[in-house]
Amino acid sequence: MYLILSLLQQMSVYLVLAYMLSKTPIFLPLLNISSQVSHKFSCYVLFSLFCVMGTYFGLSINDAIANTRAIGAVMGGLLGGPIVGFAVGLTGGIHRYSLGGFTDVACAISTTAEGLIGGLLHLYLVKKDKSALLFNPMVVLAVTFVAEVSQMLIIVSVAKPFGHAYTLVSEIAAPMIIANCIGAALFISILHDKKTIYERYSATFSRRALTIAERSVGIWNTGFDATNSEKVARIIYEETNVGAVAITDNEKILAFIGIGDDHHKPNTPISSGSTIQAMEQNRIIYLGGRETPYHCSISNTCKLGSALIIPLRAGKKVVGSIKLYEPKRKLLSNINRSMGEGIAQLLSSQILYGDFQQQQALLTQAEIKLLHAQVNPHFLFNALNTISAVIRRDPDKARELIQHLSHFFRSNLKQNIDTVALKDELAHVNAYLTIEKARFTDRLDVEINIDDGLLEKLLPSFTLQPLVENAIKHGVANRLEGGKVRIYSEQHSLGYKVVVEDNAGNFSPPAADYEGLGMEIVTKRLINYFGDIAELQIDCRKGEFTRMSFLIPNNK
Amino acid sequence: MLTAIVIDDEQFAREELTELLQETQEIEVVAQASNAIEGLKLIYALKPDVVFLDIQMPQVSGVELLGMLDPDTMPYVIFITAFDQYAIQAFEDNAFDYLLKPVDPKRLNKSIQRLLKTNRSQETQHTQAQIDSFASKQLQQVPCVGHQRIMIIPLQDIEMAFSDLSGVHVQTAQQTASSQLTLKTLEEKTDLLRCHRQYLINTKAIKEIRLLDNGLAEVTTNSGNIAPVSRRYLKSLKAVLGFV
Repeated sequence: MYLILSLLQQMSVYLVLAYMLSKTPIFLPLLNISSQVSHKFSCYVLFSLFCVMGTYFGLSINDAIANTRAIGAVMGGLLGGPIVGFAVGLTGGIHRYSLGGFTDVACAISTTAEGLIGGLLHLYLVKKDKSALLFNPMVVLAVTFVAEVSQMLIIVSVAKPFGHAYTLVSEIAAPMIIANCIGAALFISILHDKKTIYERYSATFSRRALTIAERSVGIWNTGFDATNSEKVARIIYEETNVGAVAITDNEKILAFIGIGDDHHKPNTPISSGSTIQAMEQNRIIYLGGRETPYHCSISNTCKLGSALIIPLRAGKKVVGSIKLYEPKRKLLSNINRSMGEGIAQLLSSQILYGDFQQQQALLTQAEIKLLHAQVNPHFLFNALNTISAVIRRDPDKARELIQHLSHFFRSNLKQNIDTVALKDELAHVNAYLTIEKARFTDRLDVEINIDDGLLEKLLPSFTLQPLVENAIKHGVANRLEGGKVRIYSEQHSLGYKVVVEDNAGNFSPPAADYEGLGMEIVTKRLINYFGDIAELQIDCRKGEFTRMSFLIPNNK
Repeated sequence: MLTAIVIDDEQFAREELTELLQETQEIEVVAQASNAIEGLKLIYALKPDVVFLDIQMPQVSGVELLGMLDPDTMPYVIFITAFDQYAIQAFEDNAFDYLLKPVDPKRLNKSIQRLLKTNRSQETQHTQAQIDSFASKQLQQVPCVGHQRIMIIPLQDIEMAFSDLSGVHVQTAQQTASSQLTLKTLEEKTDLLRCHRQYLINTKAIKEIRLLDNGLAEVTTNSGNIAPVSRRYLKSLKAVLGFV
């Protein structure tokens, strides 16, 4: 009984050490089952020390040592795997051997065996994908029990003389088994707690960061302005629980939410010198604490006591700042500080992306305008000339042509919108072709054959008509006679191919001028809307045909 | 009354202009053509006083056609275009008259009045310099008319050109075709080299030159066509080929 109590006492000292160690970063690698060699090595060193320590803390009994060495060996194996377990056991064993006594050999062997038992369980559980069980105190208790029982058996069978060994074992077996099992279980429970705390901490952190990221995505795509910034500031305010959040551009406050919004007003110039400094030097400034206290630059009664100022960048240029505040009674937590930096980084890239998107949209607008301008003059004057000639011989036909011409221009003007149903685009093309047919008389034949199922599909505006116009301008118009334009759809494994074909075969890669630009815009708009798969395909056989086609994918 | 030919690839445009011209009662449209090649043939055949020439036409444009005309028998040319800022600038720079489509009868009338005045004063209607600064000095292709067909023969395919009683012909490796262009025009506007009063030769197609008695010679082309070389041109031919 005395032995049990004193062994438990030793074990307590041992656990206090373990607990203290768990506060240091040395422990971190132990918390995750990792196969990195450096982690394995630190695992080996740490548990070998525990092993040796267990031996020293032991009590000498009958020329042998009752000890808590087993904890180190079993744990080493459990957390480090069979090789680490074997190495820890061997180290502890050799150390024990060096201390002598009639059980030295037996103890050396049994400690090695204990390390190996822990290691084998590790191997088994990892293989079974149940490595979480390694941190379960009951499992550890059980395996330590098995290890200790084996140790006792080894001592009885190896140590000589047998009589001595038997007496020793009958005396120390129960206390050692109890002390080691409880010790190992408590040890792992310390580790387990540490692990849980750590994981919860990172989980909270990541969850908050992800929520902010998710909620704020795309808000700034339409511009880095006050309305959008207020939304972003509110999200950060809600997710971080800081006292207040402000967002500024280079000159003024765009948004302020939280404590102090009575005197920190959006749309007022930045008054804090630190903010200007942070943006000028492109660095994070923390105000709070004794050395760099925060003083509200506007009001003396401001409740805010600390501030973190993080510059916002678009590319390399600083475009503004984000400020996180806490009231005087609270300090800005480390979590919120590092999160603030992360958020600023995330938002910076969003601003950049928003800029990019806006420019892209502007470009597209400009391109459409260009197409407008490009389509018209030639076609318009030729059409007017045709109509003026037709009026004389067939006023009804002329009236009809004027109807088509106005339809063409009307839909041309309407088509500022992004997309158009294929059937509307075909009507547009038809108006265009009717006039061209009158102009070219028997030199132009048109055949349209589009699958009915496609008529409701949407496609970017200004994609089909330019192809048809191209087929006329560079195809049929260059043939002395017998020109033909075919517009048809073809089934394809990924959707439908829409083909515009002329029988002139006159295509040559356009120079970088208007014409070339036209086709380039068409393919860009197709890719933007349908993806790379819809890229404009041009197939030409000289003197036979020019075929321009694109794919309308099934999923659109 | 002046005679005119209207050359435009659009039927309605052609008919419309013809009718407007008839209405003026100053111009008689003697023929219409739907492309430059037919037009060229008609100009040589009918020798009109004036040609109304569309610019945008298949294969050979109106401006190219102008470059193919023989300056000596050049008719007065009035261009027609729907919309072509560059061409209009060129017309103005070179004092060519032009009409915009749809044709305004008042404007047409003005052109005709000017034309009648020029015609009466018997001035040279278009100077060579005027034409050269405007139409390409070098032809890239030669329009030809065969039996019931029209061909555009790229210059590099032509081995030689010659004239006989039936007109001017160009000879390629595969075929012989008749051209409306004169040998003189071909000589001036292409790299074909004069080797005989009735023959031009493409120096890149020469396989051998056989020297004959009394200073004459014979050129054999890559595909075996034979052109005579007269005493007068042998020296210059040899000079071009690098034999001094």
